Amino acid sequence: MIESFANFLGNTGAAALFQNGGPDAIKTIIMLAIACVLLYLAIVKKYEPLLLLPIAFGMLLSNLPMIKDSSAIMMHTEWFTDTQYMIDGHINVGMIAREGGLLDLLYLGVKLGIYPPLIFVGIGCMTDFGPLIANPKSILLGAAAQFGVFFTFIGALVISALVPSIAWGVKEAASIGIIGGADGPTAIYVTKSLAPSLLPAIAVAAYSYMALIPIIQPPFMKLLTTKKARGVVMDQLRPVSKTEKIIFPIVVTLVVAFIIPDAVSLVGCLMLGNLLKESGVCDRLVDTAQNALMNIVTIFLGITVGATATASSFLSASTLGIVALGLVAFIFSTCGGLLLGDLMYVLTKGKVNPLIGSAGVSAVPMAARVSQSVGQKENPSNFLLMHAMGPNVAGVIGSAVAAGVFLSMFNGM
Amino acid sequence: MNLDQALISGHGITLPQAFSTGGETAVIGMGIVFSVLIILMIVLNLFKVIFYREKKAEPAAAVTEPIPAVQPAAEEENEEELIAVITAAIAASLNTSTYNLNIKSIRRVSPGRPAWNRAGLNETINNRF
Repeated sequence: MIESFANFLGNTGAAALFQNGGPDAIKTIIMLAIACVLLYLAIVKKYEPLLLLPIAFGMLLSNLPMIKDSSAIMMHTEWFTDTQYMIDGHINVGMIAREGGLLDLLYLGVKLGIYPPLIFVGIGCMTDFGPLIANPKSILLGAAAQFGVFFTFIGALVISALVPSIAWGVKEAASIGIIGGADGPTAIYVTKSLAPSLLPAIAVAAYSYMALIPIIQPPFMKLLTTKKARGVVMDQLRPVSKTEKIIFPIVVTLVVAFIIPDAVSLVGCLMLGNLLKESGVCDRLVDTAQNALMNIVTIFLGITVGATATASSFLSASTLGIVALGLVAFIFSTCGGLLLGDLMYVLTKGKVNPLIGSAGVSAVPMAARVSQSVGQKENPSNFLLMHAMGPNVAGVIGSAVAAGVFLSMFNGM
Repeated sequence: MNLDQALISGHGITLPQAFSTGGETAVIGMGIVFSVLIILMIVLNLFKVIFYREKKAEPAAAVTEPIPAVQPAAEEENEEELIAVITAAIAASLNTSTYNLNIKSIRRVSPGRPAWNRAGLNETINNRF
């Protein structure tokens, strides 16, 4: 009786907390505290709560103190990152399926690259490419706003060269840079392939800064544009026929596939969703893809990405560096879009409002809304929203292409 | 691309290495992103040439007609009545007369919430009665 009670005590989480001594216990407590702070940001501050809340709770679940090798462990991050658990450098799917906890099994969907493309199907169903088709030159703003991605790539390599405690190679640098694409699923898709140990930090940075776009962007928008240019009222967009909207996703998939096949799993799924919507003959599938499917995948994605945040990988100088560089990436992407917007303003002799350039970072539709609200401050009767949606959806294609560039260059190295 | 082992592992990268590899990747990367999107821009410009002109004839008639008229001519009796009702509702909410309004088009927007959500809302409302 007493023996079994003692046994029970030895198996409690409180006992497990101290099994590896004091320093580890403190790290665990810090991780739990970080999870609670993120929960606070998600619930009270409403920073992208649909993702940040599952991420934060996943972090909480995987950092709960557990006795070593207990069957209650939901997530074994080391199985996915440590080569000693792998077969020839590949994850041991058989072992994970037999012995893994719930989160291990769900994480396979991230590791095998299933969730981000599925989310893109849902995003495609909700995206209207009409403004882009009506104003083709706005697609270039979506390309210019990927500048932050590549600038941050250089920045990450430089930091790696300067700071001895940070060892980022090209793969890590690419994963950090892609934060500047301001597109959560794309960032996760690149990072799980190139630098899986950085996944939680990059996901948290990407989603937090996306929520902060209305605070990050406006100062730079005012800095890089003139008062006169901000007040420009753009011509109304031409009507776009249904035929064009149906052909567009097919053409984009073909063009992207011929140039950069590594981007097809993201762009192809985005365009599949869009074609489902524009065809008008798959209403039931559209309903499922943009609601049920997307919500289910979001829960799985959020909770497992959060669960990969272990004390050893998350509590390091590298996480601080990622948070700092993520901000740099967002700022430079914004500036890239704005500068091309300024150039277009000059070349078209004042027909393009440069404010729509900052919407080239993908975060749909937040970035376009920021362009709208900054433009309206200058000229209350100005409606830039639809004009900004063009670069905005182009940014989604642009960052998926940038992701494909990184994957084709560095994957498998 | 052939890369130094240091650049892959991240240990012992030198500053010149960081700048040269980073710069090279950035130039190639931005080049590819721009070339893909420029090709799409060209395709979209072709769209305009191919699809927009033939459409111009139709909407031109449809657009000019409603401007002098208060309401566009509708084929069905019912539809005309519906347009009149909507015009009156807009006029009432704007505190003006229907004579000051030009209704150019009326489009049905899809309901913002999914069917289950709507059903749930209706049920909740009915329960409160």
